[in-house]
Amino acid sequence: MPEAIELRGLTRWYGKRRGVIDLEADVHEGEVFGFLGPNGAGKTTTIRMLLGLIRSSAGSARILGLDPWAEAAALHRRLAHLGSDPGYLGDMDAASLLDYLGALRGLPKGAWRAVAERLELDPRVPVKKLSRGNRQKVGVVHVFMGREPLLVMDEPSTGLDPLMQREFLALVAEARAEGRTVFLSSHNLPEVERACDRVAIIREGRIVKIATVAALVGDHTRSVNLVLGSPAAEGAFALPGVSVLSSTGQDVHLLVRGDVNALMGRLGELDIRDIAISTPDVEDLFFRYYEGTVAGSEGRDARPGQPESVHGEAPR
Amino acid sequence: MIGLAFRLELRRSRIIAVGLALVALVYGGLIAAIYPILLANTAMIEDYMKLFPKEIMAGFGMTGNLAAPGIFFTTYIGSFLWPVVAAIAAIVLATRPSAADADRGWADVVLATPMTRSRHLGAGILGQVVVLAALAFVTVGGVLGVGALVGAGFDAVRFLAAGLVLWLFGCAMAGVASLVAVITLSRGAAAAFTAGLLIAMYLLNIVSQVQPDLAWLGGLSAFRYAGVGALIDRGTVDWVGVGVFGVVAVAGWAASLLLFRRRDLLP
Repeated sequence: MPEAIELRGLTRWYGKRRGVIDLEADVHEGEVFGFLGPNGAGKTTTIRMLLGLIRSSAGSARILGLDPWAEAAALHRRLAHLGSDPGYLGDMDAASLLDYLGALRGLPKGAWRAVAERLELDPRVPVKKLSRGNRQKVGVVHVFMGREPLLVMDEPSTGLDPLMQREFLALVAEARAEGRTVFLSSHNLPEVERACDRVAIIREGRIVKIATVAALVGDHTRSVNLVLGSPAAEGAFALPGVSVLSSTGQDVHLLVRGDVNALMGRLGELDIRDIAISTPDVEDLFFRYYEGTVAGSEGRDARPGQPESVHGEAPR
Repeated sequence: MIGLAFRLELRRSRIIAVGLALVALVYGGLIAAIYPILLANTAMIEDYMKLFPKEIMAGFGMTGNLAAPGIFFTTYIGSFLWPVVAAIAAIVLATRPSAADADRGWADVVLATPMTRSRHLGAGILGQVVVLAALAFVTVGGVLGVGALVGAGFDAVRFLAAGLVLWLFGCAMAGVASLVAVITLSRGAAAAFTAGLLIAMYLLNIVSQVQPDLAWLGGLSAFRYAGVGALIDRGTVDWVGVGVFGVVAVAGWAASLLLFRRRDLLP
């Protein structure tokens, strides 16, 4: 499958300050790729390099086969971008703004109407009078009003209400169905889980994990929430395949991989008030990779610079 | 595409352009309205002016009879109103496409479309050229228009030629501000540098005229070349001044375009 985005050792330093380090990733054409990490992890720096707004300090990136710095003009004809807090001109109304941006992209006047109607955006209101959520709608309309093969979005659904988030996810799904590639940076974990085919987790400027969402929430992994009658002894859950995601006295949140018999045996020794066992969501997994709070032989820490898998294999 | 960006640039400039044009029009018109009074009282004003040291008066552009249209225009407009109006316009407009747009995030929005950096900044530069030309025309036009109403007898052709020199002076300011804005990507730094440079050159011009042994410093001041008294009164064009302003403006803008294409755009 051809790659829409190829990152090879992509690195960016701001003087002595870390931006991103040694990023290695491939985003396949036609997939929705999530880029997951908290603020300051390096998501926006990566996107700025993908767009050719800043240069890399080392390594390279190829976007749709093009060098984003040297061939920015050609690349920008083939992608649409939504920033995390787009600095739209406040005095323009949404219609004028979208017509202007559409004209720069070679779109006819009013190309935004269909998407704006889906998102219930009032196009006559000056942007500076729009709420944060409505300004974000302008950005979403801007991205989806064209037919570019690559969509690059940085925190796209921030500020959108749940109904509009659902509409946004529908737009992403339609883009994928049309064979377009979506690169979506987010710290909205449920959104990533619902929208993306694969996810990269970035931690302190380094990609620590790339996997399919299905692999991340794999069949053999379970999330176990316990309410204990009294706090468990230290090391009570130091069992093979068991990771302690959080423990606040009597409330314990575990991630279990593989054989659950050892854990069940241990639970039998404890005073359990309540228990809930479920398939973990991406949020659980994200915190696992981000906090590095893995116990047990199978739950190895993802060390910075050493992605567990980089081409979509399920974690073993 | 640059046409679209240029139209947007003009739209974004309309408030500052109209505001400054009104200031120039009202001030220029009022000054022109008192010109016949100066003309009718030339002898008395001459006596009054003799009270002040000649060097100090020269430093402020009053190097002759205030009733002479060129001296009158240079004193009230060329050395006073226009540098202020042009500096405000030049700084606001020239720092916008690079520093201000990068800071507010608009540069990220448009530069992720097929709009290239050169076209984005080029449209901004065209906007500066046009707005400064309009302001120079309005400034001179206000003086000429009211002058005609009060029978001042100003030479329209020479005044318009003076307007061209003022426009070039404004363009030179914009070229410098544009370059500093691209280098620093800071609107504050670019504005402070340009304004500080103008004030320094203004003082330099005064010092060079007050202190004869420092006269050579005057050549370093843009205000030396911005005087249009000789042009209006005698029809003599200061080609050196025209050349200096033209070269500074074009070099500043060209260097801005070159650097803007190559630099990282950080918010």
